[in-house]
Amino acid sequence: MARDIARSTSPPRWRLLVARQELVILALLVVVSAGLSLLTGNFFAATNLLNLARNVSWFAVAAFGVGMVILIGGIDLSSGAVMALAGLVSAMLLQSGLPIWLAVPVGLLSGALVGLCNGVLVGIFNTPPFIVTLGMMGLVRGLTFGISGGRPVRDLPLAFRALGQDDIWVGPLLVPLPLLTMIVVALLVALMLRSTVLGRYIYTLGRDERALQVAGVRTERIKVVVYTFSGLLAACGGIIMTAWLGVAAPTAAADYELDIIAAAVIGGTSLFGGEGSVFGVVLGALLMQVVRTGMVLLGFPTYLQVGAIGMMIMLVVLIDNFRRRGLSR
Amino acid sequence: MEPILQCIGLTKRFGTLGALDRVSFSVGPGEVVGLVGRSGAGKSVLADLLAGLMVPSDGEALIDGHRLRWPFQAPRHGVAVVPQRPALADRLDITSNIFLGAELGWPRRLGWLRFPDRRRMDHAALEVLATLELSVESLRAKANQLSSEQRQLIAIARAMVIPARLVILDEPTALLSYSSQQRLLGLIRSWQQQGIAVIFASSSLDHIFAVTDRVIVLNEGHKALDARTDSTSREQIVAALIGQGERQQLTPIIWALESYYSARDQSEHLRLQQRRLERDLAVQDSLNQQLIKQLAEQVKSLDQANLALQDAQRRLLTEREGERKYLARELHDQVIQDLLSVNFQLEDLQSEADEESGLSQELAEVRLSMRALVDDVRQICGNLRPPTIDSLGLGAALQSYTRDWAARTGVSVDLQIGESLGRLSEELELSIFRIVQESLSNVRKHAHARQVEVRLVSTSPRALGITIADDGAGLRSGLDLAALANAGHYGLLGISERVALLQGKLRIYNRPSGGLVIEAEIPHPRLPGTGAA
Repeated sequence: MARDIARSTSPPRWRLLVARQELVILALLVVVSAGLSLLTGNFFAATNLLNLARNVSWFAVAAFGVGMVILIGGIDLSSGAVMALAGLVSAMLLQSGLPIWLAVPVGLLSGALVGLCNGVLVGIFNTPPFIVTLGMMGLVRGLTFGISGGRPVRDLPLAFRALGQDDIWVGPLLVPLPLLTMIVVALLVALMLRSTVLGRYIYTLGRDERALQVAGVRTERIKVVVYTFSGLLAACGGIIMTAWLGVAAPTAAADYELDIIAAAVIGGTSLFGGEGSVFGVVLGALLMQVVRTGMVLLGFPTYLQVGAIGMMIMLVVLIDNFRRRGLSR
Repeated sequence: MEPILQCIGLTKRFGTLGALDRVSFSVGPGEVVGLVGRSGAGKSVLADLLAGLMVPSDGEALIDGHRLRWPFQAPRHGVAVVPQRPALADRLDITSNIFLGAELGWPRRLGWLRFPDRRRMDHAALEVLATLELSVESLRAKANQLSSEQRQLIAIARAMVIPARLVILDEPTALLSYSSQQRLLGLIRSWQQQGIAVIFASSSLDHIFAVTDRVIVLNEGHKALDARTDSTSREQIVAALIGQGERQQLTPIIWALESYYSARDQSEHLRLQQRRLERDLAVQDSLNQQLIKQLAEQVKSLDQANLALQDAQRRLLTEREGERKYLARELHDQVIQDLLSVNFQLEDLQSEADEESGLSQELAEVRLSMRALVDDVRQICGNLRPPTIDSLGLGAALQSYTRDWAARTGVSVDLQIGESLGRLSEELELSIFRIVQESLSNVRKHAHARQVEVRLVSTSPRALGITIADDGAGLRSGLDLAALANAGHYGLLGISERVALLQGKLRIYNRPSGGLVIEAEIPHPRLPGTGAA
């Protein structure tokens, strides 16, 4: 998919290297990782990398959905709340004795439902997405407190926790299951965006909605589909997160919606729509997680992490700006 | 025949602003309906309504008898729309834009999740572009790299790849070149033949009359006219465009608009003619230039010849004067002296001779005739070269000459010489003397005058005036030097030649009281001592 966007945004091939923000982020990632390994010594330790991968996985899966919403020129502020809701729904259903094969899909469905509501309000009723999803964020967060009574759900079945904690042998490599899930989801989303008619519409919708309308494409339906996808993927991320943590709390994933948007933007997704890639989102999520982990390893207090992430966003946007100016010359 | 499209009371208001007011009409298969209106008349609103992009405030529309529910997807109902400004996806390539919303792909049942079949679409796109005669470097070129015309043609190509039964063209020709416009009109005709209905909004009445079966005129959202194209006229359409109420006062404008197209043709024709004329003129001009140049060269060479001739004549005159001077001196110094010495010898002989032999008597007679001969030769000398002119100047020479002349001819001469007249150059004095001489001989030969007036005065410090006036017969007809020369009378001609050689001015005219006047004014270099004159 990344290649597809590059093709649609920057015709001369020799400029591809500079034209893609993914590569800038990748370079930044390498620099930061190298710095951290020098400073801490145990950054590249296997356990740390695996933990990193697990943390990035659920975060990135949720970010894929939000990234798609941003691609069509929208925004989804409800993703954090949906993550908490889906995890909570699954956990409560599991506690009430439902089998895992039913509890997890229902959890996913709850997220998709929230996404569908967003999509209908934005697409069919033409409401500004910022307002809709902001309202939905409050509504869903309230719902999580309502159904849980404000108490976290613990003692989840081992089979469920395995979704977030198990590792699987893939050939000679022991791969964390969440990472594998993320890779599979990433491939599916990338395939959809890159190779299907829908993907083409999604990239076009952000900038040339009228062109699609004149061509008879039901753009409102695309919006419904994309917001639903966003809800579904947020739910997916939320369930993995819950499984990894082993506890479902109504306060879980608080403020994650902004981190997720930040990851997408850092990964090269344009807030004006029409630009971005799954690969970029993964890199963005990874960079944020690396910085976060690095600060923990270096012994910075947690509250400084927020500031660091903010600075990183500004830095990346600044670099992006210079890059574009250089390109347009 | 069942109409493809039926509009019943379509109304669109933006707030209190009415954009379209209860417009009803229907379009049958293969019918081309022209939509005419000034900007803001509601053409684009109607097009957007029928494209399903805009929801009407009131009224309904039926396609194949089925009521439309807004918003709808026009292509699903077999309606292709080409909006006024081509709505292309800037970041998609040409093929993707042409097939946007109608992508060929597999598996079809997956709908939006199907994979587009690029090769098939490229193939079909090339065919459509060939029909439109649009050549592009590559089908992979992005829409934002194309010119306005190319974009418009791609928007039109889009209407050709979906199985349309109604095509709505909203001012499609505005961005097109003349040849593309003509191709589009051809395309509309072929749609017509295939039974495809067309709604063709255009501001060009030429195009409307070229392809439409019916014309609908919108005026401020109202349907002002709905008539068959064959049974309407430009005037009617223009009148409807402007509005019934305004018709009276706007008659001149209507006329102006009516004749606009013919005027445009004429002006084009005129411009062509003008250009041709300008070219002809340019050719003519260059010919004239050449002629003028040749003429100038001829005049120049003529001038040169003339100058050479004048020079030659001046030299001739000078040499003649020199010759005369030489002859006069020879005669005076040689012949006359010889004659005088012979005369003295004869005197000696006479005194020695006997009185009675009668020789003395004969000698006296010879001496007498000898003296007459000397006088004659003196006379010839004087004529050849006035003896006094070199020594005493022009005034004295003229006085002596006129006195002799008066005595010889019996015509009284009144000579007046300006007091300030000093010595002039030898050539000038001689020429003036000759002019007076010629004039007087002219008077003697032809005028039968009794009195001649000769006046010589300085008219300015650098010019001399000569007047010779007689009271004779004057000129019989007008002055014609050539005729006089042909008749063998060279007097006046000689005078005029001398005056011309001196760069002077000559006037010859009859006096009212009878007689001829010869007036010459001759310039000369300023002479010292004459400045105060």
